[in-house]
Amino acid sequence: MVASSILVLFLLGLTAAAILAVASRLLHVAEDPRVARVEACLPGANCGGCGYPGCSAAAAAVVDGTAPAEVCIVGNIETSQRIAAIMGAEVHFKEPRVATNICSGGDRANLIFDYKGVEDCRAEALLYGGEKSCGIGCIGLGTCVKVCPFNALRLSEAGVPVVDWNACRSCGKCAEACPTGAIRISSVTSVLLHLNQTDDCLAPCMQKCPAQINVRRYIQQIKQKDLRGALLTIKEHNPLPLIAGRICPAPCENICRRKIVDEGVAIHTLQRFVADWEMQSGIRVPLYCNPPSGHKVAIIGGGPTGLSCAYFLRRVGHEPTIFERREHIGGMMRGVIPEYRLPKKVVDWEVQTILNLGVETRTGVAFGRDVTLKDLEREGFEAVLIATGAWKVPPLGIENDDAEGVVDAISFLERFGREGPDMSGVRVVVVGGSNTAIDVARSARRQNALVTVLVPAIQRKMTANKDEVERALEIGADLRFLTAPLALHVENGAVSGVTYCDLAYDDPGKAAGEPKPVSGTKAFIEADLVVAASDRVVDHSLFTDADGNPLFKRDKKTGGVSANPTTLQTDIPNVFVGGEVHTGRNILIQAVADGRRAARAIHFHVTRGAVPEPDNQQVQVIPETILKNMHVTYTIPRVQVPLTPLEERRISFKEEVACSISYDVARKEASRCLRCGLTCYDADAGAEYTQDDDVRPIDRPGSE
Amino acid sequence: MPSVIKEFTKGLWDELPPFRVVLGLCPTLAVTSTAENGLGMGAAVLFVLTLSNAIISALRKIIPGKVRIACFIVIAASLVVAVELLMQAYTYSLYQRLGIFVPLIVVNCIILGRAEAFASRNGVIPSIADGLGMGLGFTMSLTFLGALRETLGNGTVFGIPVPWEAFRPAHLMVMAPGAFICLGLILAGMNAFNRHMSRRKGEIPTEPKNAACASCAACNLCATARKEN
Amino acid sequence: MEYLMLFISAIFINNIVLVQYLGTCPFMGTSKSTDVAIGMGAAVIFVMLMAVAFTWPLQHYVLTPYGIGYLQTIVFILVIASLVQFVELFLKKVIPPLHASLGLFLPLITTNCAVMGVAIMVQRGEYPFFKALLFSLATGLGFLIALVIISSIRERLDISPVPAVFRGIPVALITAGVMSLVFLAFQGMAA
Repeated sequence: MVASSILVLFLLGLTAAAILAVASRLLHVAEDPRVARVEACLPGANCGGCGYPGCSAAAAAVVDGTAPAEVCIVGNIETSQRIAAIMGAEVHFKEPRVATNICSGGDRANLIFDYKGVEDCRAEALLYGGEKSCGIGCIGLGTCVKVCPFNALRLSEAGVPVVDWNACRSCGKCAEACPTGAIRISSVTSVLLHLNQTDDCLAPCMQKCPAQINVRRYIQQIKQKDLRGALLTIKEHNPLPLIAGRICPAPCENICRRKIVDEGVAIHTLQRFVADWEMQSGIRVPLYCNPPSGHKVAIIGGGPTGLSCAYFLRRVGHEPTIFERREHIGGMMRGVIPEYRLPKKVVDWEVQTILNLGVETRTGVAFGRDVTLKDLEREGFEAVLIATGAWKVPPLGIENDDAEGVVDAISFLERFGREGPDMSGVRVVVVGGSNTAIDVARSARRQNALVTVLVPAIQRKMTANKDEVERALEIGADLRFLTAPLALHVENGAVSGVTYCDLAYDDPGKAAGEPKPVSGTKAFIEADLVVAASDRVVDHSLFTDADGNPLFKRDKKTGGVSANPTTLQTDIPNVFVGGEVHTGRNILIQAVADGRRAARAIHFHVTRGAVPEPDNQQVQVIPETILKNMHVTYTIPRVQVPLTPLEERRISFKEEVACSISYDVARKEASRCLRCGLTCYDADAGAEYTQDDDVRPIDRPGSE
Repeated sequence: MPSVIKEFTKGLWDELPPFRVVLGLCPTLAVTSTAENGLGMGAAVLFVLTLSNAIISALRKIIPGKVRIACFIVIAASLVVAVELLMQAYTYSLYQRLGIFVPLIVVNCIILGRAEAFASRNGVIPSIADGLGMGLGFTMSLTFLGALRETLGNGTVFGIPVPWEAFRPAHLMVMAPGAFICLGLILAGMNAFNRHMSRRKGEIPTEPKNAACASCAACNLCATARKEN
Repeated sequence: MEYLMLFISAIFINNIVLVQYLGTCPFMGTSKSTDVAIGMGAAVIFVMLMAVAFTWPLQHYVLTPYGIGYLQTIVFILVIASLVQFVELFLKKVIPPLHASLGLFLPLITTNCAVMGVAIMVQRGEYPFFKALLFSLATGLGFLIALVIISSIRERLDISPVPAVFRGIPVALITAGVMSLVFLAFQGMAA
């Protein structure tokens, strides 16, 4: 028995060993040894964030060549470098990504019912989308916290997730689990190129702003004394805060919810405050840029659109070059808009900030004359942005409009910016109601000319910024509302006067539509200089091919170059268009927004070959965000921006009219912000200022 | 010497199987219908574990890395056969009651787990101390669980009736559901006790070791467990 | 009829995990998600069938004739361990997709007491060969069913407000206890 036991065990062991040995030889799968080595580099979390079932599958795909060395999204650049070393490949830059919570509401939101069920957001979302009335907000049961494999999330006291960006490895589990989309994975590129969507948490100001600046966040950052953060927040959408803070008519302030109870928050004053803080400190806040991607983009025109587009393209990693016809980058911002509104040194500082990122410039190069689309293509530019603006002032279209002494507003302002001539006693007549017209009037008036402006509208219907009209009136310009020129009088070849008539609206109460001339009214005014400032239009003569045929279609409504409104792509796929050349005469922030939109389109065009339409794009103001009733506790007066005294304005041309404000003032103004969400808001905003005399509780009807 | 004592005592509380480190669930659940069975099973495991630890640590330099698991299994299996024969010879009724679970000691992950995690990396003396400590801890736990279930389910401890007339035993506790529920409650109790202790010490309460994968039978083959070790 | 009874009984009445306590370790360890549970269950069925198919002839043509039945344990574990190893090699070469889905679980099964337990049980029950195969298939199915049920419950438990001390294994064990109670009811069916 002993012998047989030993024998059987021995034989069995031998057979098993032999079979396995033979099998391992015969059935050997030629497995690339690199798979195991690549797998050893991977974190082994098997999170599936890369799209493969696990780390070993991802490793196999890398060795296969179907996945790049930077396949692992939770690994850092070192992981990719180690894998690349094994594969003998180069590491491409991998943009860091993190999870971000978009909901700021938390427990502020109204409840539509009281949920008492399974503690899981997904379960709660099955019931009418959750207990909170807001359909996009954070439900707050922390499903994302539970699913996070890296413990990078926690719930704040207000019940919204807070991401620990050091721990987050952007695997996407939280975003996948979140039923409302309140938590998302974002990267520098996605933040910089994101367009508002109807399922974002958008306060009214953020919807109204063409550049979609995250107003709510930067105002909160000002309140927390995080000016650097506030500046970076603004610069996610607007690379020109110094300029926009000075000359933006601020459509956001008109729609501000605080306007329902008192006055809108002075949003653009706060923006200027943040931007001035940076400029006065003299040190530029560093802006993160992705390393160069090798994609070259040509930008025609160094105005706000071109600068904005170059800025965003450079930050997401591309290599833009600006071609500028004039000697300076800055477009109308530099040299046309007068010093006292927008000083040159401010524009130069802002332009330099953008150029410092690594944007190339070629000045004195005009499109069509010195460079054509063909040349650009030959030079290796993968996409072209046309942002040449609207510089042509149409003639007045009346008798003698080409006489000596008749100039267009832009040449007038340009010359004025350069020379600043004394105009004592000169009688100037300006025709138009735009900002340009008002700039002409103010400039001439400051140099002691006698200025009359023929405005084809009533005061509140003028396209010029309200404040600027006030300034013009203060300084003594004679604004004749609802008038239009009929003919110019000429003596000795030079202009000597203007006949004009009155205009009237069809319905004077509403003042809607175009006012029409009133027959029988006629007046005469003497003039040495007539400035045409009725409009600015796009000069299409630039855009012709070698045979003189037009390159682009003309948009009938705006008079600009027509393009897809979302992607700004023209009929030539690699040519994009933005700013006034597309929209016609418009405000600065629209140009900035167009530059950003074009940057998004160009980014997708050069990296993917096609430009995707964004989902759920927010175009109109979302109706549910316009509240009828507000229950705000305190009323705080809006900040009054100090102005340079009138006497000084008369003698000096360089001094800015609107001055800076101090931090304490800015902080109090920031505390007026209700931190609005889509529907929620802070009812007791400004409670910390109740000690001040000018802060009072609002008497609510029926409250006592 | 103190390190040997440490290796011995860690099995008695810090890494007490199967309550602190959830290992070897099958016998824990299956044979603890009485305290006596638990004690017997524990003793058998103690024997196999100590000897296998000793042999493996002695041979650890000879065993080639590639086939080490196979070797560990063969060594454990031989010891289990020896235990089977011994039990048949001396405690046949106990052998009958433990039934299939005696040969199954070979696949009890305590044996392989300790072999892989400890004996194959340490000297003979510490390995014996480790095996003895773990085995003794396992025996204690099984006896305790057996006594508890026997009391609740049968009204006896080691066959002696509990001196409480009014007590009506719940037969369920000696059956399969009772085993699961009892063990679950004990584990929860251990967690509660640990939290209480660490709070008293002012530390942050920690989760039980290997809470995620502790009960997986394949710790010795599993990449995660290897990393933790 | 007898075979049908055996089949039903092995799946439900004598469910290998919930009534016979075998394979509780993987039952706790691999039941955190349903996907993993299905993979593990399928792998167990496969290996169980193979193990019985190999150990039954060994027992009947080698161990019993030579009177060395006491070597059963050591022989069986050797065979099962080699078998699992061989199957892994085989699948990797011949049926890579199957290896991709089951491969992860195969090494876990070497030390799964359910497989070893079934191999020994068919010998103790002295089943003929085909009955033994049927029994092992049914047992494996029982394991799969139990594993899928508990993994579904545990996925649901993950989002329930379980007291902190019960989180994880304790509550899973108590759940298994309740499931076991349910399976006990099948015993009434057999009687």
